[in-house]
Amino acid sequence: MASLSEEVLLVVKKVRQKKQDGTLYLMAERIAWGPEGKDRFTVSHLYADIRCQKISPDGKAKIQLQLVLHTGESTTFHFANESTALKDREAAKELLQQLLPKFKKKANKELEEKNRMLQEDPVLFQLYKDLVVSQVISAEEFWANRLGGMNNGEAAPYSNKQDVGISGAFLADIRPQTDGCNGLRYNLTADIIESIFRTYPAVKQKYSENVPHNLTEKEFWTRFFQSHYFHRDRINTGMQDIFSECAKQDEKGLKSLVNQGVKNPLVDLLSLEDKTLDEGYGIRTAVPSTSNASKTVKESSNSAIIKRFNHHSAMVLAAGSRKGDVPTDQASETSSTDGNSRDSDFFQPPLKKVKLQEAIEYEDLQRENKPKVVALNLKKSDRYAHGPVPLQSQQYTTSQDIINSVSYIQHEMANYKPNLTQVLSSAVASSAIAALSPGGVLMQPVAPQAINQMVPTEIQGELKHLYVAAGELLRHFWSCFPVNTPFLEEKVIKMKSNLERFQMTKLRPFQEKIQRQYLSTNLTGHLEDMLQAAYSKFHIWQTRRMMRKT
Amino acid sequence: MRLNIDGLLVYFPYDYIYPEQYSYMLELKRTLDAKGHGVLEMPSGTGKTISLLSLIVAYQRAFPLDVTKLIYCSRTVPEIEKVVEELKKLMEFYAKETGEVNNFLALALSSRKNLCIHPEVSSLRFGKEVDGKCHSLTASYIRAQRHANPNVPACRFYEEFDSVGRQVPLPAGIYNLDDLKDFGRRKGWCPYYLARYSILHANIVVYSYHYLLDPKIADLVSKELAKKSVVVFDEAHNIDNVCIDSMSVNITRRTLDRCQNNVETLQSTIHTIKETDAAKLRLEYRRLVEGLKEANVARETDVYLSNPVLPDEILQEAVPGSIRTAEHFVGFLRRFLEYLKSRLRVQHVVQESAPQFLKDIFDKVCIDRKPLRFCAERLHSLLRTLEIADVADFSAVTLISNFATLVSTYSQGFTIIIEPFEDRTPTIANPVLHFSCMDPSIAIKPVFQRFQSVIITSGTLSPLDIYPRILDFRPVTMASFTMTLARTCLCPLIVGRGNDQVALSSKFETREDFAVIRNYGNLLLEMSAIVPDGIVAFFTSYVYMENIVASWYEQGILENIQRNKLIFIETQDAAETSMALEKYQEACENGRGAILLSVARGKVSEGIDFVHHFGRAVIMFGVPYVYTQSRILKARLEYLRDQFQIRENDFLTFDAMRHAAQCVGRVIRGKTDYGLMIFADKRYARADKRGKLPRWIQEHISDGSLNLTVDETVQLSKHFLRQMAQPFRQEDQLGLSLLTLQQLESEEMLKKISQIAHQT
Repeated sequence: MASLSEEVLLVVKKVRQKKQDGTLYLMAERIAWGPEGKDRFTVSHLYADIRCQKISPDGKAKIQLQLVLHTGESTTFHFANESTALKDREAAKELLQQLLPKFKKKANKELEEKNRMLQEDPVLFQLYKDLVVSQVISAEEFWANRLGGMNNGEAAPYSNKQDVGISGAFLADIRPQTDGCNGLRYNLTADIIESIFRTYPAVKQKYSENVPHNLTEKEFWTRFFQSHYFHRDRINTGMQDIFSECAKQDEKGLKSLVNQGVKNPLVDLLSLEDKTLDEGYGIRTAVPSTSNASKTVKESSNSAIIKRFNHHSAMVLAAGSRKGDVPTDQASETSSTDGNSRDSDFFQPPLKKVKLQEAIEYEDLQRENKPKVVALNLKKSDRYAHGPVPLQSQQYTTSQDIINSVSYIQHEMANYKPNLTQVLSSAVASSAIAALSPGGVLMQPVAPQAINQMVPTEIQGELKHLYVAAGELLRHFWSCFPVNTPFLEEKVIKMKSNLERFQMTKLRPFQEKIQRQYLSTNLTGHLEDMLQAAYSKFHIWQTRRMMRKT
Repeated sequence: MRLNIDGLLVYFPYDYIYPEQYSYMLELKRTLDAKGHGVLEMPSGTGKTISLLSLIVAYQRAFPLDVTKLIYCSRTVPEIEKVVEELKKLMEFYAKETGEVNNFLALALSSRKNLCIHPEVSSLRFGKEVDGKCHSLTASYIRAQRHANPNVPACRFYEEFDSVGRQVPLPAGIYNLDDLKDFGRRKGWCPYYLARYSILHANIVVYSYHYLLDPKIADLVSKELAKKSVVVFDEAHNIDNVCIDSMSVNITRRTLDRCQNNVETLQSTIHTIKETDAAKLRLEYRRLVEGLKEANVARETDVYLSNPVLPDEILQEAVPGSIRTAEHFVGFLRRFLEYLKSRLRVQHVVQESAPQFLKDIFDKVCIDRKPLRFCAERLHSLLRTLEIADVADFSAVTLISNFATLVSTYSQGFTIIIEPFEDRTPTIANPVLHFSCMDPSIAIKPVFQRFQSVIITSGTLSPLDIYPRILDFRPVTMASFTMTLARTCLCPLIVGRGNDQVALSSKFETREDFAVIRNYGNLLLEMSAIVPDGIVAFFTSYVYMENIVASWYEQGILENIQRNKLIFIETQDAAETSMALEKYQEACENGRGAILLSVARGKVSEGIDFVHHFGRAVIMFGVPYVYTQSRILKARLEYLRDQFQIRENDFLTFDAMRHAAQCVGRVIRGKTDYGLMIFADKRYARADKRGKLPRWIQEHISDGSLNLTVDETVQLSKHFLRQMAQPFRQEDQLGLSLLTLQQLESEEMLKKISQIAHQT
């Protein structure tokens, strides 16, 4: 039995799958289920393959756990032990909850990466369909050197994808649902947790401090949602709230943000007024400084909400633009220590100047300095897109040359004397004219235009796919040379057979198809040539190897 | 281009011109020709500043004897700097066109905080600290002390300026604040004092309102400015409030306590001085006997700008004997202080006029009107004599003495209100004595009297005729200019109903109504989904905003809005709001989009522009009426009714609408800009409200968009935004809202232009 070598973490009996009783095993790396009385598993999933688990709502009669795989398939287990079903399920769920994320990170990353690459690149996707789905090469082979490039080379074009910001409303997406008996349920996804961590580094810190030593993950989030930290309008909190510290830290962060001041002098409200009225003058009475005591609870909760929104928005914004996870506090500290305004004095003017210039600019009052250009007026845009035929000879003639030659020709023509004894016979001449008229033998249109016009677009598309697929296979093939390891030897042989298979399964049908449609078969000529080149290379290599062996 | 404005050659530093700019310059020229005052309203973003500068500089060059100086007053420091930058552009153009270096001197003046280059002093954060520290280094007697004791710290920049700087005038050129600082650093001179000294002979001075309107500052800075100056108040829609603020005084118990301390310090200083240097006090006494003759002579010969706090009459008299000696005066102050303390011990609200107050003070503590009037001047003299280091410490006693002078000088235009507690917290005793000015014309009168032309201009001055009335002057020109547009780039919509037909309004009765709040939330939510980049929303007051935000939060509306845009909210803390503002701009900049919730009459609504994508829509939730229950406001309304025949409601509506227009106008900053202006209150549809909006907004409100539902608004907005998103090129504007010189000179266009100015 396979499980002998593995560590079994949990065994749950009386679990039904597809209406069959059996036992569920949770092991170190996979989850498995075997029907009762048999010693093999009919269901076995690696944790890395599982995307998520779902459980049936509490009120339901059947107590079930569903595993959704990355492939989209799902497996449902029904906990049938009447007395302990719920407990069993909870136990399984808890364990899975702890196990899955560990594997997820590894598997997910790769999978997501593949997924994303396919989504972002339609050509690749087509290739994938052509080669993998039609089983010309296996998926591993397909990904082998693509992902390799991914993982090693940071410079790979795919790796510097754009950072995704955080939705401003991620907290709003956690809709609390009542569970019917005086409780609230919050649905957290990995994305939301990620958002919370990125926006509130303080929470992340708390998390890493407390989970899993002091609290389980679930407890942590339960406390999070209970805390006033989440409900900012609640003012009074018990001291035992672990998030009260976070709130303080946030407050500090906000304060340091405020203390940093603003870089754009045009929005600095503090230095807006040139001369404020002295204390005691003016109509508007200043806000009484003793008002803290007199503020009602409601008022201070209102201002707490406002503060919170400002802070939240600022953090979301910062999280979006932050590179890596630089703790904000540090950055703000360093900048506040040199808060010597002398420094800022020296750095300020350029920005200020720019902003001022921007503010007084009337772009429409100024004449544009750009040289006037003639608007492009195309009658036939396809002609523009194809461009003029490049000059065959790269020698350009100067105008002097042209003038010279024109005068030369003029001179020649002036002195032209037909040599009537050596002209063509009229029959030959007329056949030459016929050959040169449109439709004549010598007036065959040139090849590239012909493809455009003669071949239907779907054939063209198919041909393109074929080219791409063939190119991909050939790339794999040629990348094996020089063959200097046994692995490469194996691969080159495999690739050759792949190529042959490709020729058989893809290229031949296509050729037959175009033949049926009476198109010239030399459409695929080049493809064949390429394959032939590969084959001949393979043969040379093989004969050489044979010779070496003998 | 070179323009011919009514026979005057004007250099205009651009290749094209807006028709309204031409029209504006025409009106301005007329005003200057008539040597009178003018009120001009021109939409924001149509190049008002550059038109003003071009014309006045040209005028100064053509008639150097008629207009010697331009005093350009703006409201905020960035505005001031912008004006100087535009001036620089103009002067560069002059140099290029005429080929000669002109000898114009123009400079910006700001407070020490923005100009100081002393390493220690300038590192202080608050303006008041900088002023105090500077004073402690540069006051005359401190410097005198240093002669005896070289260890007394000094500001080397000031010393250098004092010894060399005054002899050599500032070389001609345009100096912004930073340029002054650079120049100061290079020469080792104090930029602040250099600027203050140089404004006397500069051709153009750019500074903030307070330097001209606040008598406390104007007396120091602007007293000697030439009479033949043109004064421009830009962004002047709030000028009456600035005037009133500068003349009003609030006295709390804390003020009195600090004042008590001040008086004690004065007393002890007098004692010590008496023992060491009695001659000084005797000298002062003699000076006071002679009275304020010097000042009187200066004012009569028209050298000084008169100071409303220091009325003309007292200049002719000597300081009354009862407060002439230092001890007597301190005793007098103490009595006055005790009287004020007793007045603050009230249980109910008291409102009285200045004469009533004077009678009461005479009855209770036998203080006469006459010595009270000299109080401010007497204290000033005493502080000088006693060589007080930090005048900022004596702000309380200065405040009290200013109050004494004001209350005894003006029998009209002021009211005294003593409130034992705040209205919202009737249980907490916090007595305040408001001495509030109700007549803005008092503070501005000297300006109108002294200077030959005063131009009041802004993007929103509607209705124009109310300003001359409340400021009590007679303008020679009053004009409102429209914005010529090649495409209708502003879209004012009045939302009167929610989708459920609930009338939307911020009026008091429905303020707490959940249906209204919810519908407001829906409006914002829907708009957040369709408007690109930035949205600015204004509420009528801070408290109102807090309540609405809280209930939106409870109803989950804010969360839904967050799906579309980030939310930033103005708070009462300026630093925090600045941060929020910057983040807001950042969010607009990086494409995420954001909403700024803000308050009408707040700092954001009056000082920050939301150009282009920083504001594609502005939503005005409710009509921003001022808090009408305030007694000060009631007194002011009464006064306006009695003195200027302005009905209370007219004034309130005027005030609300000018603030609404200010808020809404923030979003359009030019003809290439575009934006939605959403008035979310059904009361805006009424003719009396709508009619008070600036003409350039009013003319785009169609009858069909007077009472829209939220859904209809969304539809119209979508349509508008789609249209505006189309490319807009210069050629589209040319000939319509943008003119070349040739186009400008055509007969037909000149006729059209003459219709732009709407005379009233």
